[in-house]
Amino acid sequence: MLDEPYRWIEAINDRRDYIEDQLRPGSPVVGLNYNEGMLLLTIGSGQRKIFEVHNRTALCAIGHPAYIEQLRMLATDTASVQGFQNSVDDVTLHRLANFVLGPAIKQTFESIFGAAPIIKMLLAELGTLGRENQFSSINYDGAVATDSHAQLIGGTDAIESAMRRYLADSNSSDGTLISTARTALEIWAVGRDLSLHEDDESDDSEGSPVDRVQLHEVLKEELKEGQIEAAVLDNTRRGNSKFRILQSEEIENLTSDWL
Amino acid sequence: MSHKGDFLALLKSQNCHIQLSADDLNSASLPLGATGDAATHQLEVAEGTTVIAVRYQDGILIAGDRRATAGTSVMYDRAEKVLPIDEYSVLAISGSPAIAYEMARVLEHSFQYFRRSQLQELSVEGKLRMLSRLIRENLPMALQGIGGVIPIFALYDLNHPEDENGGKIYFYDALGAHFENAAFAVSGSGSVWIRGILRYLDRWEGGPLAEMDLQRATRTVLRLLDTASEYDVATSGYNPKSRIFPTAKVITREGIHDLPEQQLDEIYTEFVDVDYA
Repeated sequence: MLDEPYRWIEAINDRRDYIEDQLRPGSPVVGLNYNEGMLLLTIGSGQRKIFEVHNRTALCAIGHPAYIEQLRMLATDTASVQGFQNSVDDVTLHRLANFVLGPAIKQTFESIFGAAPIIKMLLAELGTLGRENQFSSINYDGAVATDSHAQLIGGTDAIESAMRRYLADSNSSDGTLISTARTALEIWAVGRDLSLHEDDESDDSEGSPVDRVQLHEVLKEELKEGQIEAAVLDNTRRGNSKFRILQSEEIENLTSDWL
Repeated sequence: MSHKGDFLALLKSQNCHIQLSADDLNSASLPLGATGDAATHQLEVAEGTTVIAVRYQDGILIAGDRRATAGTSVMYDRAEKVLPIDEYSVLAISGSPAIAYEMARVLEHSFQYFRRSQLQELSVEGKLRMLSRLIRENLPMALQGIGGVIPIFALYDLNHPEDENGGKIYFYDALGAHFENAAFAVSGSGSVWIRGILRYLDRWEGGPLAEMDLQRATRTVLRLLDTASEYDVATSGYNPKSRIFPTAKVITREGIHDLPEQQLDEIYTEFVDVDYA
């Protein structure tokens, strides 16, 4: 088989289809900047999806929990050893994403006789030493995309595009944590709504306005079973570690008098 | 993962050797003339400093002088000997600075690594044992008389009932045994001059130390450090020319706070640096 390159390409394409099918129902994750730091938000069914990697770095992912755990530990171990051996300032998202996680995922993706990497990751790094805040997403094939303002991951490219369009059109956030988190919830609902109606995906017309009332209905429905999970990298936090999971009272404040 | 949140095991698996590892320090590495036989060495730890922790009504006040010495020479007058390890734990060091700072660094990274990898905070007992392990593994250096560390470890236990003081103070011996002290702990060469005073204050003078407010606790600690500096050359007092104050931190339910220099200055001026009547 290996001496027939077209078969390898075919196998890779099959693998791509398989992974996308598996990822499609995944709960999207939204990463946005706010006045005092960076926010990561999703709605889940209880299994934790947002993690602290290092002092100023956080990670979240959609995909198979076992593979997420494997890569989370790879990122945590690498960052911890690097931070100890050199300096915590030498632990950067650029190095983690491009030199550690990206290549590892790419290698697994292209090893067609092994298990497929059912995963998409979103990492956030709070800026310091002249570096800007940075979000990086890593696709299941190891491709890394970075943005200093926001980053989103959803089950498919179409879902991510729709979420991105809503983010671009949205100007309701005043930069506070609560307002930013509400925007993030609406963006999440755009992605969720689309993933639940996959048959309609092809009909999704670019630029069509999204009804906010409808999004709130999606959120209300999802929150009957699911729970909001959100964490921040907070510049105002004392101490070296800037990561903080939002407490239940803060989560309640997000939705009370709003949904 | 095989290391289960153990940072030292992770470092070892990555071929990253630290100064404190007993594996790297055996009798073969002893200086010329030393045999490595524990029986021939008296375990004397050079600890030129004074660090002190007292329990007060809201938590723990922990402070230390700033002098670093080598023999009879003053090497540095701005050394930090009270080191925050995590949001609620502080290590006050006495002994060999190189080993003590490395110990603090390993401890800080270990606590963080446990939290990040296991998704929960390391327990108080776990933190105490981690420090015990580091001190124990440093025994060869302590036996040589060049690398001993006798720290005070103070923390605020958030699992304590909210209406009670969760501040806890522990002191260690050179072999790593830890002991909780309910009211206070002192370490370093200047500690012999003030331990008795603390006992006296706690037992008979003005009520138990644990009932002090922060103002009184700070005043007491600064006076004690000043007393230690009077009798111990390795302990610095307040240096008005350079405006060098001791380091003082409080650990409460809200976390760790540095006492600002201005506050220390005011207390020094009013209550410590007073003229004899």
